[in-house]
This record gives sequence, C-alpha cells and structure tokens, in this order.
Amino acid sequence: MNLSREAIVEALQNLLGTENVVTDELILKESSIDRFRMFEGIHGVYTQPIPAAVAMAQSTEQVGDVLRFANEHGVNVVPRTGRTATEGGLETAVADSVVLDGSGMNRILSIDAYNMQATCQCGVPLQVLEDRLREQGLTTGHSPQSKPLAHMGGLVATRSIGQFSTLYGGIEDMVVGLEAVFPDGTVTRIKNVPRRAVGPDIRHVVIGNEGTLCYITEVTVKLFPYLPENNVFLGYTVTDMKTGFEVLREVMVNGYRPSVARLYDPADGAYHFSHFLPESLSILIFVAEGPAGVAAATAAGIEAIVTAHAECRKVESRYISTWFADLNWGPEKIAKEREDILQTGNINRTTEVSGDWGAINDIYENALRRIIAEIPDITMAGGHSSHSYINGTNMYFNYFYNVVDCGPEGEVSKYHTPINRIICEETLRFGGAIVHHHGLGKARTPWAKDEYGSSFHILETLKGAFDPNGIMNKGTIIPA
Amino acid sequence: MNALKILVCFKVTPDFEALREADWVAGAAVPPGAAGPAGVAAGVETRYVPRVFNCFDESALETALRLYEAAPGPGAGPEGASAAAAECVTAAGGGTAPARDAPGGDAAGVALAALSIGGPEADPFLKTLQALGYRPTIRVRADANLDFAPDVVASIIEGCVRRVAHSDLLLLGCRSGPGDSGTVPFLAAERLGWPCLTQVTEVERAGADRVRVAYVADDGPARVTVRLPCVLAVGNAVVSRLRVPTLSARLAQRGARIEEVDAADLGVDVAAGLERRTCVLTGLEAIDRRRQGIVIGGGSPREKARALFDRHLRERIERL
Repeated sequence: MNLSREAIVEALQNLLGTENVVTDELILKESSIDRFRMFEGIHGVYTQPIPAAVAMAQSTEQVGDVLRFANEHGVNVVPRTGRTATEGGLETAVADSVVLDGSGMNRILSIDAYNMQATCQCGVPLQVLEDRLREQGLTTGHSPQSKPLAHMGGLVATRSIGQFSTLYGGIEDMVVGLEAVFPDGTVTRIKNVPRRAVGPDIRHVVIGNEGTLCYITEVTVKLFPYLPENNVFLGYTVTDMKTGFEVLREVMVNGYRPSVARLYDPADGAYHFSHFLPESLSILIFVAEGPAGVAAATAAGIEAIVTAHAECRKVESRYISTWFADLNWGPEKIAKEREDILQTGNINRTTEVSGDWGAINDIYENALRRIIAEIPDITMAGGHSSHSYINGTNMYFNYFYNVVDCGPEGEVSKYHTPINRIICEETLRFGGAIVHHHGLGKARTPWAKDEYGSSFHILETLKGAFDPNGIMNKGTIIPA
Repeated sequence: MNALKILVCFKVTPDFEALREADWVAGAAVPPGAAGPAGVAAGVETRYVPRVFNCFDESALETALRLYEAAPGPGAGPEGASAAAAECVTAAGGGTAPARDAPGGDAAGVALAALSIGGPEADPFLKTLQALGYRPTIRVRADANLDFAPDVVASIIEGCVRRVAHSDLLLLGCRSGPGDSGTVPFLAAERLGWPCLTQVTEVERAGADRVRVAYVADDGPARVTVRLPCVLAVGNAVVSRLRVPTLSARLAQRGARIEEVDAADLGVDVAAGLERRTCVLTGLEAIDRRRQGIVIGGGSPREKARALFDRHLRERIERL
C-alpha cells in the first residue's frame, strides 16, 4: 500500500461523501474487532491495527467504487453488515484497513409470495425480513440465534445456519440467487431459478467466502409457509450422549425431518434445563413442524423411535416450547452478557464442528476430556448437537472460563485459542470439519490447510483469481 | 479474636425474564394458609422457566465474599474456603475485587454461611456456594408456597441465626421477585432485635465489631458505621453479579453436605403462620411499557440533526 491514512480517508470521502465515512476514534477501535475479541473490547483494550475508516456504502455502485479504489492502491478491505461475527472475520488485521459496511443497504426489494422467494439488500436485518414475511404467513425458515441482529449479507457470507436447519437446511440451501461485487469493481448477478445444471454451481464461490473474494450486495432466498400453530415440541432425557447420537441418527436415517433435532450433554443441559433435567442426564429435543399432518406424522415417528430406547424418558412438552421461545439473542442479552463479564471475569465461548455418525461421539468425548484436563480456570465445559444430516451431525462445544492472571489482551491466547486448538485437533483426527457454521474467520484459519488437505488448491486458486492483489479481508480463510 | 460470622439468605426464584408474556396469568390463587403446589408462585405458572438467584440476594452473596477476601491474615473461614474463593475470584482488568490485604484494619477473619428456604431445587445453588467457600450451606425444608408470608420467612431466618448459624451479620436482598412485600429484612431484624439498614450498596469492615455501610437513604447516598450484630438488606449494589466457581473447585467440594433443617426444629410452625396470611394474588394486569417512537427523515445526518432540533428540541430548550 502506498497511501497514507489521510489519503485513504480523503479518497473515500470523495467516493461516498463525507457523511458516509466514519473516522471517530472509538468507532474505529470497535470496528477493529468482532465478538472473538469481545473480552478485549468490553475492557476497552484494542490490540488489532485500527482501520483508517468505516465506509458506509449506500449502493452496489458505491461498493464497487470502494473496492476498485482499494484494489488499485492495495488497501485491505474488511466487509461487514450486522457485525455479529464470532470468529475474528471482522478483525482488521492490516493497518489502515477500510471497513466496508453495507448496513445502510437495507431495503427489502421484493417478496414474491407466488414464486416463494424474497430479494433484499445485504443490510436487511433477518428479523426485519422475517417480521414482514410472517405478516403474510411466510418465513425464510432461517433462524440463527443472532436473528435479531444479523443482516442478510453477512449470513450468506459466513454460511450461516439456523435453529430449524434440519428441515429447511443451511443458508446455502436457501439462497437461489445473489449479486456480488469483486475487487476490481465487477458486479456479478446470479439469477434466481429453482435449479440449474449449467456447469459448477457458482453460488458456492460466493456463499461462505467471508469477504475474502467479493462483497455480497443482494440476496434472494426461498420462502416457506409459516405454520407455528402446528408445531409439536418433544423432549426426552437420555442417560448418555452415545445413545443420544444413536437416536438422532435413527431419526434422520428413517427419513424424519424435524425442524429441530438437538442433543445436550449433562453440563450444557444443566445450563439450560436445570429446572427439570436431573443431574448427569443428557436431553434430546425435537420440534416437528409443517402442515398439520406432516408435523403430526413426524412427531409420531420420532416418538416411536425414541421410546424404543429404554435409556430415554419423555419430559413435558411445555418445558421445551417455553425454552425455545427465549433462545434468541437480542440487544438486551448482549448488554447483560457484557455486564456479567465485566463484573465476574467469566466468559462464555463456543466452537462448533461436525463429523459423521461414526466419528461424532469420539470428537465430543476426546475434545471435552482434553479441555477439562489441559485448560485452566474452566467453570463449565459441555456441548450439544443441534444440526443433523443423513450422514452425521454437528457438535457445538459450549464452555465458560474465568479469566485470571492475565490482562484482557491475554484472554484469547491463554484460553480461547488453546481450546480451539484442542477441538480442531480432535475433529481433524476423527475426520470431521473444524467449523460447522460460524465461519473460519481468523480464529480457526491456522488450521485451514489441515482442514482442506489437497483441496486447498481449489481455494487458493479462487483467491488468486478473484483477489490477485490480496486486498479482501487478509488473514481470513487463507492464512496470511 | 472470633471470626465475623456472616449469614447470607437467598431465594431461588423463577427467571421471570424467560417467562412468556402469555404465561403472566393469575391461575387459581393460593388461599391463605393453603400449601401451593410446588413451583406455582402465587398463581403464576413458573414451573417451565429456569431458576436463578434472586438478583438482590446475588449481590448480597458476592458482597459477603468480598468481605471474606478483605479480611486480613489467614482467614478464619472454614478450611478450604480460602483456596476455593481465591481460585474463582478476580476478573482480569475487572478491577473491583479487593485484594486480601485491602481494608480490614485489625478485624478478625470472616466465616460465611448461606441459607435458603424451599425444596431441593435450591441444592444446585447451595453447591455453587460451597464451591465458592460458603460453609455451612443450609436449606430449611419447606414444601409450602411461602409467597406473601414474610412473617413465616422472617421467623425461619431468626431461628436459623439463633440456633444454627450463630451469626453476627445477616445479609440478604432488600426484596425478591415480583409480588414480594420487601418486608422480610425488617421483620427479621425486629425478631432478632438488631438494627437494620436497607438499600445497601457497599459494605466493608471497620474493626472487629463494626462494618462501614454505604446505602441509599431517602435524600440520597449515605455512609454509616454500624456496630454488629445487624441486618443489612442489599439494594442496587455496586456489585451485582456472583462470581463463578471453577470446575476444579466444584469437584473439590463434591462430597460436601448441605445441612437440611426442618422449620419445626427452628421453633417455627409454618402451617400456623400460613393460616395468618392475609395477602393473596387475585389478578394480574399488564403494565403498558410501550414507548412512542418517531422516525426522523432526511437525506444526510446534517438534515436529520436539523429536523431533530427544529421539530423536537428547539421548543423545549427555549422553555428552559
């Protein structure tokens, strides 16, 4: 890069107007991190290079203008929308980066109830879209915990998944078309069709690129009827995780598609369900939804499978429906979490991976055993499976620790990264994927080559082709 | 010199934040003297939401731990408490937890005890307190719903102070969940014959038999030094979150016993007390907390700021 910080700001102001270029020092500091370094942020300690500016793009053209400028001058760009990233993907790893913010591109462009698809700009909050859809009896079927805060562009960029994924799929199953801008300013649109066989599915070059190849400016997603009145909530205690995984597998293999299929271990279960879950037991949770007959048949099929296992005992349905109604994270919970962390020094972290049915229990047991044995100051370590498939499931490790004997800047290196290392090592050892739905970010990029193996060639070639000057979100997905 | 014996009373309450709006319905109100079904809080169905420490009691529990830490020398607390407490203290950069050699003067050590009233649902919370160094942890068995029965609760606390914990300082939250009368601290103090300070925000030792207390009086914040024994009802304290014990601290206390006590052993006739209860829940009415919002239009932030000033602020400022 051959431009000074001041020159970058001046150029951005010329492109976007002064009012769309943020240079407030505190905002820049806060924009240098995401939730991966929230412990630092909560304490007002910022260790990452501070960006030159936050550029608030208002249109696809402005996104193109900024990217073209950055590409010409070798300025690192960190794309973002709703800022709910958890894995360091929004960290500005390079001095004087530009954070390219699309949250102002927040128009719902169309809701097509006949063709069952909706098109919106990247900065539309999922909650806003869902609220509009539900007024019409529709839903995207996408419901991540971050729904109140996350925006559509970021959800697609990180290959997000929602709580109802076992029925509706991940975001990659929902996106039918999109618009994206590449570093040289090229605007590409992938049209909206039910399916195509016209060569490789190039949507997947864009979906999950985490801002390392292009900037997603518009997405079109599928719609589904919203029929919550038919939902059936089921819960069962189970004596051990291995049996729980077996039950999940049987449900999937026998062709049932509940929207929710979850298995919590005793530690994670106690965190959510201590008001009814006996200590030392795990818990299985299912939600069957859809048209009344489908929901009822799904629930009946699951019931038959689970009750064939003597290790399982049914719990009252209302425990599950009440819990589910309070699961999402909005601003209030974020604010409470911040105060909790400040006062107690105790912080909750998660790492999500996946594995096939033959591997998942080994990944779970070995990683958890090592975390408890090797990491100091752990106050809770457990996990749950929350997204199942015909050939396997995910494991969402959920853990808390007290940050002691180090400053805020030491939290990641003392605790979080060593825990990630354990989980990645054990997942790779048993053939799983080191990230299930949060994205690699910068947190787990050190293990990207081990994850990809020989297929890393494809990723590297894509990066070289679309971002030859390496200006897109340096340090994310591709090790720096 | 004897240790300062602190008894902290806490209530395990439903997490009302997790209660759905539709669940705020007064069911069949619990008649005076009748034992309510387990988990039914005076007619509102709360069985389906998690349990939490009552937030004011949580402040009291953490306040007591900090008094313990501030005591000089090898604490007079129960064996193992120091290590357990030390292990789970101290946020990096949090900066509010005092060091062990912080104020305390010539005060003796501190011993911590915790008391809750109710069924086994309180046990996980008592185990957490064991891992933090509380000893003894006491649960007074009560199958009856004691909501709207502050006399009964206060008499149980009095009995526990006199017969089990032999405390010098009683710490508890100034009130518990919705519908609470907020009178338990006063009634307990009256029964014990001890002075009572409410809306307490901070406590520190001020010698062997005194504590310095910050509290919020009717006319604003105040500080006083109080001779022990006394009752302190904690309000919106500076410290509002209880620290979290490590897994290893929990494991170290795995065999520790919770002392279960019957109210009758404390000289309290619960049934007779409930017979005298005069307050019952007869209905609930939602408070409308909606706020009016106005979206200010305009192309640029400058235009929006101008519209905000012209339409909504100018007149108010001129009136000042």
